[in-house]
Amino acid sequence: MTLALEAEWKLLTDLIEERFGLSFTGVRRDILASRLTPRFQALQCGNPLEYYYHLKSHPERDRELGQLAMTLTNNETYFFREAHHFECVARHVIPSLNGELRERPLRILSAGCSSGEEPYSLVMTLQAMGLEAHLPHGWEVDACDLNSARLAQARDATYEETSLRNCDEETRRRYFIRDGTRFLLRDRHRAGVRFFTCNLAAPVMPLGAARYDVILCRNMLIYFGEAAFMTLIERFARAVVPGGYLMLGHSESLIDRSPSFRAVVLNGMVVYQRCAVDR
Amino acid sequence: MTPAVDPRQRLVALHDMDEAERLVVILAALEDEAPAVREQAVRYAARYLEPARLVRLVANDERAVLRNGAIAALERQGPYAVQPLESVLAAPADAELAMFTLQVLARIADHHSAAAVLPFVRHANANVAQAAIEALGAFRAAEAVPDLLALMGGNLWLQLASVNALGEIGDARAAGPLLELAPDSLLAIPALHALGKLPAAAVAEPLAQLVCDVREPASREAAILALAGVVAPDPSDPASSRALDLLAAAAGEPTLLRMLQGCISATDDAPDPSRLRTAAATLVVGAPVGAAWAPALAALAAQGETDRIAALLRVRGAQVNALVAAQYREGGPRARSILVEFASHDAITPSMRLEALRDPHALVRAAGCRALGSLQLAESVAPLVQLLKVGCDEERAAAASALARHPSGQLAPLAACLGSTAEPQLLIQALGVLEATGGQAHLDRLLELAHHASAPVRRAALRVLAGLGDRRVEPLLLKALADVDPEVPSEALELLVQRGGERTLDNLMALLSLSDSLRFRVIRALGRLRVARAAAKLEALYPHCALHEQLEVIGALVLIAAPDVRDFLRARLTEPNLELRRAAARGLASLAGAGDLPQLASLAFDDDWNVRNEAARGLSRLPLEETRPLLLTLARDVESVVAVTAREAFTGAPARTWALSS
Repeated sequence: MTLALEAEWKLLTDLIEERFGLSFTGVRRDILASRLTPRFQALQCGNPLEYYYHLKSHPERDRELGQLAMTLTNNETYFFREAHHFECVARHVIPSLNGELRERPLRILSAGCSSGEEPYSLVMTLQAMGLEAHLPHGWEVDACDLNSARLAQARDATYEETSLRNCDEETRRRYFIRDGTRFLLRDRHRAGVRFFTCNLAAPVMPLGAARYDVILCRNMLIYFGEAAFMTLIERFARAVVPGGYLMLGHSESLIDRSPSFRAVVLNGMVVYQRCAVDR
Repeated sequence: MTPAVDPRQRLVALHDMDEAERLVVILAALEDEAPAVREQAVRYAARYLEPARLVRLVANDERAVLRNGAIAALERQGPYAVQPLESVLAAPADAELAMFTLQVLARIADHHSAAAVLPFVRHANANVAQAAIEALGAFRAAEAVPDLLALMGGNLWLQLASVNALGEIGDARAAGPLLELAPDSLLAIPALHALGKLPAAAVAEPLAQLVCDVREPASREAAILALAGVVAPDPSDPASSRALDLLAAAAGEPTLLRMLQGCISATDDAPDPSRLRTAAATLVVGAPVGAAWAPALAALAAQGETDRIAALLRVRGAQVNALVAAQYREGGPRARSILVEFASHDAITPSMRLEALRDPHALVRAAGCRALGSLQLAESVAPLVQLLKVGCDEERAAAASALARHPSGQLAPLAACLGSTAEPQLLIQALGVLEATGGQAHLDRLLELAHHASAPVRRAALRVLAGLGDRRVEPLLLKALADVDPEVPSEALELLVQRGGERTLDNLMALLSLSDSLRFRVIRALGRLRVARAAAKLEALYPHCALHEQLEVIGALVLIAAPDVRDFLRARLTEPNLELRRAAARGLASLAGAGDLPQLASLAFDDDWNVRNEAARGLSRLPLEETRPLLLTLARDVESVVAVTAREAFTGAPARTWALSS
């Protein structure tokens, strides 16, 4: 790659990091280039600079930023991915909140929920472990993502085979209605899940203070630049109740990166607990 | 001053520091508790602290965090720090400083430092000697090979470092000594890793012999990895070929066969299983080893190594063709799809490939399409067109790509895909074939499709038509500029520009007067076509158009290189809008001549990284003797892109050009 082209890509990746918090440096630059090819073609952009100009100055830039967000966040996931987190909520978090949950619902945020497999998997796990009967106020699972097309799919709750790659026949039969090659999640397992569009890196984010008992944000922070990472963690720190938990993907770590959370081991894995008072 | 509690505030303070407090702030930030602050401090230290000061911080063994920061900053300074670091080696204060200096030089990896480093391989302190050996490996310093070989037989750790360095250097002189270590020594596995990086002519056959002879599993796996590493880049090398023959001859030995089979099916709990699977499968397919051949082929395909399969089947044709034929008759659809696509024509004849288009499995049919593309057989056109019409997505894509490689004269049957009942998807794929092949055969239908209800079909038809010389095409493209779908006018304009010609220029100049959504593309096109007569009109338009058009005007005027464009660009550098300033700086850098030095010097200290980067680009176009101090400053910029751009100016210049004192 020529040095001039390198600088053009930096303009574009800086803009993406500023707008969405997503970092596309190093080898991830190639992933970005591949994902943007259809946008370059659609807009007749011959190089990153022309696309950057479009995003910065074209009258239709807001529409394109929306397209860009969907292009960048089009990550596929599947049901019961890293399912140990759901079991951890059921086996450790809920028992520890026993008293409080007689007075209010369990509140969980699924941040970066894509097409909904994560929040629905959580609900299915809670139901399979018979916890409905033990939670008089039930649960509220808020699920957000930047990609509105993915959220529409989440609300539709209809999935392709690839989303069920971790589900055996019994699980498929129990939770889904087969419709040709697609699978519709049964209504009962959509209970208590609310989806909303949210740019977690935006200057203002609509998350309440001290609201959630658990925040699931898995396999998303790896895409965030350092500044957006720090901002987001502090937002999570405000949004989670003191003593509440933040659960990250297996390749993500908060150790030595935030004074607001401390690493604890639950169910044999590291999760992050909100410190009672900021150090 | 009380440090800010929030690390983000400390980052801001670092960015906003005054010149007077710079040293204190940077030094404090190098020891900050937050990694992000320390990382940013390293950038500033590289930019503002001279290497000599950083070396003094490295020498301070009481503050390890500060020392680590200084080491990182020196590495970031790269070539700028090389000469001061080499000066340290001339008289290091102590062994520890020598070791850290050698490690930094290793990471900078400037080959010119080899001469300064070489004496240290015999340093009395083993840590220093080891750091020197590792540095020579990082430099790939062939001149160090005799000294490194002389270390064999001495201190074990130094031997290990030497073995690794010899692998990095990749010099054939190391083959004999490394092979002596390989069968049975404490250093067997590192020696095998190193051998895998040496030239095939020197090591391929002895490595094949080791694969056959060595019994210890870990060493045998290492030998397999090494041999595959040597053979795979060029299996046609005579030494590689002899090595594969040797392996084929020995493969009847049950232990060896079991070992190869075990490696091909290595599970994820093995160290680096994917690499091991690929390595063993490469050897088995290339040798070939008949008893493990089919699973090896499948393993390579599963790893996406189709280029490797094709190369092995082509180069080793005489040895593998019998196996190919047998597998093609008896294997499953996956194996047959691989073979139909990649085997030589001796093993899978053109008529067998044509036959594959009627295979019961779509996988094989699609592979058959891809194979037939390169053969360009007239008799393959009709069945390919049929698959384009009725195949699954993979078959249709493969058939379209194969047809696109045929001469246009053979494509009459494609008319079946262009009919009035054809779906847009089929039309677009068929038009894609015509775009690639050219030819006037379907002209009337193409003219109709340029008015199709589907915008993507209209675009595809225009792309085909634009490549034809018919007089009806230009009016059609001009008419398409007013298409209701916004992507059609953009495409039409691009096609008009590609066609060029004086009439196109007249049309573009006329379109410049229309303030519409297409005008920014018209401006861009005039720049790309370097239409000198448009310059005055573009300059006059500039104050009256929107930002996205202004950016295009700047870019177009730079490409046109109008006589007074520098004055225009200098005026733009005073614009409040950052993007306009950046575009002007980009233009000045592209046009930079001797008279632009003062302006570029000023831009070199701009607050914006992109403007500084353009300054570095422009300065590197001027004679180095005039720009060296500015480029040396930019070469340590806090933004890596700027530093790299500035360093590029020194590429090819004598190594000592970086010297600060000259």
